[in-house]
Amino acid sequence: MSHGRMKHRAAYVAFDRFPSSKGSGVHIAQMADELFARFGGGLLAVIGGGDLPRYQREGTREIARFDARIPNLIDRAEAFSGWVADHLAEHWETLEVCHVRDPWSALPAVADGRRHKVVYEVNGLPSIEMSHTWPWAAPSTLGKIRELERFCLERSDAIVVPSRVIGEAVRDRGVPGDRIHLVPNGAEVPGETGRPADAPKRYVIYVGALQPWQGLDVLMRAFARLADLGDLRLVVCASVPERRAKPLRRLAERIGVAERIDWRFTLPHHEVAAWLAHAEVSVAPLTGCARNLDQGCAPLKVIESMAAGVPVVASDLPAVRELMADGEHGRLVPADRPAELARTVRILLEYPAEATAMGRNGRAHIEEGLTWARSRARLADVYRTITPAPTGG
Amino acid sequence: MDAARHAREEDQVTRCTVTTGFFVLGRCGQAAVASCPHCARPVCAAHAAPGGLCPECAAARGYGTQDPHDPAWTRGYRREYYQRSARTYHDSSWYSSFDEYDRGAFNPGDDHSYGGGWGPDDDTGFVDS
Repeated sequence: MSHGRMKHRAAYVAFDRFPSSKGSGVHIAQMADELFARFGGGLLAVIGGGDLPRYQREGTREIARFDARIPNLIDRAEAFSGWVADHLAEHWETLEVCHVRDPWSALPAVADGRRHKVVYEVNGLPSIEMSHTWPWAAPSTLGKIRELERFCLERSDAIVVPSRVIGEAVRDRGVPGDRIHLVPNGAEVPGETGRPADAPKRYVIYVGALQPWQGLDVLMRAFARLADLGDLRLVVCASVPERRAKPLRRLAERIGVAERIDWRFTLPHHEVAAWLAHAEVSVAPLTGCARNLDQGCAPLKVIESMAAGVPVVASDLPAVRELMADGEHGRLVPADRPAELARTVRILLEYPAEATAMGRNGRAHIEEGLTWARSRARLADVYRTITPAPTGG
Repeated sequence: MDAARHAREEDQVTRCTVTTGFFVLGRCGQAAVASCPHCARPVCAAHAAPGGLCPECAAARGYGTQDPHDPAWTRGYRREYYQRSARTYHDSSWYSSFDEYDRGAFNPGDDHSYGGGWGPDDDTGFVDS
């Protein structure tokens, strides 16, 4: 076991709870693992709380978790920045690469007087996304966040994006194209998975978080139009705690589908894979809002559904088109149109042979091009590009 | 009978409670050989740092304290303050650029903020992939 202080050559910083059952948890694990494998260990600075230990050591890796209970998001984010600065200071002389995931993680990393390179992984832009999650935020406030983003992007050595749409949004903020690198999300193709014991006989599945832009309300309205299919149920595997589902459950009551929905909350990743594998159809009903269209997204649920071999019905958005082809791996439908969504799901249910073939194609599509191994190899290329000397590992 | 006695003895062994794992966390569970002098957690031979410290306390020591009541805090804070203020104030003023009006929109518990309350099990990221 390591003794005393560790000096790291790499750090990965994220204002996200880790580990977690959310897509970000999977993503952070893959990216940080690649970074630490290349630099002989490193520091992972993330959000903790609950019963997560404040510090952890695993061989040459350290995890530090920020767990100050500060209710206001901006106050909390700034306290996090200060905490990150303190933690990076211990490695300032040895650090070669600092990989960050958001502006408040980036700010201490892009400080003056650094010798390390900064890789800024942009999965979304808070100045766009926070207008959805925090509707009270004034345009002038979002402007300041946008300015903060621009400042951090400008000073980073490489920008990593999971989709071309996000790459464009970053370019629009003035980042030169040669600094932007596409590293798509991936999935692990699961082996044979047993049918979950409590799974209904026939079900359509939704996997993911419950923010308004996910469009679960659209899916529920579509599901209301499938009421004649008596044995069909909707399974929602939410990656967030149960109380987040309150508004959606009220909606389900109101439109009369509550009795036909099975809710599961924060299931571990491998259990979600089993739920996916035995579903008839997996739906990604993302809405056509600015968050999904201008900022872009890289919905892990689409990739993981294909990996599980289940046909996908998803909203026809540029970011989704990057991942799957209409008619080949599933169907693309216009966003925010419950009737169209219902019709498409119904057709897939009526042609099970075609649906099965689409599921098979989807799985092959992942195996060929969208595995985590492949994403990690591209990330390793980015590290090689920005660090002059060969990096041991 | 022997097996039962063995199991009973096994039960009496103090187990190392260090958290292990990267993505999937677990407990070490090996027989403990020491108790961390700082937090009293039992640690096994593999996880004990010099002085019997558990990895969590050993790592924490590497980063200085965040507790203002700790005597070591003042020294670190003073040094940090001079270093950081020299850097921050001449560079960008991000730490002070959000005023009360900006911050007011990000309080939890308002029905208007998505999700309402804020608790330890809430997600904290700004964006979701």
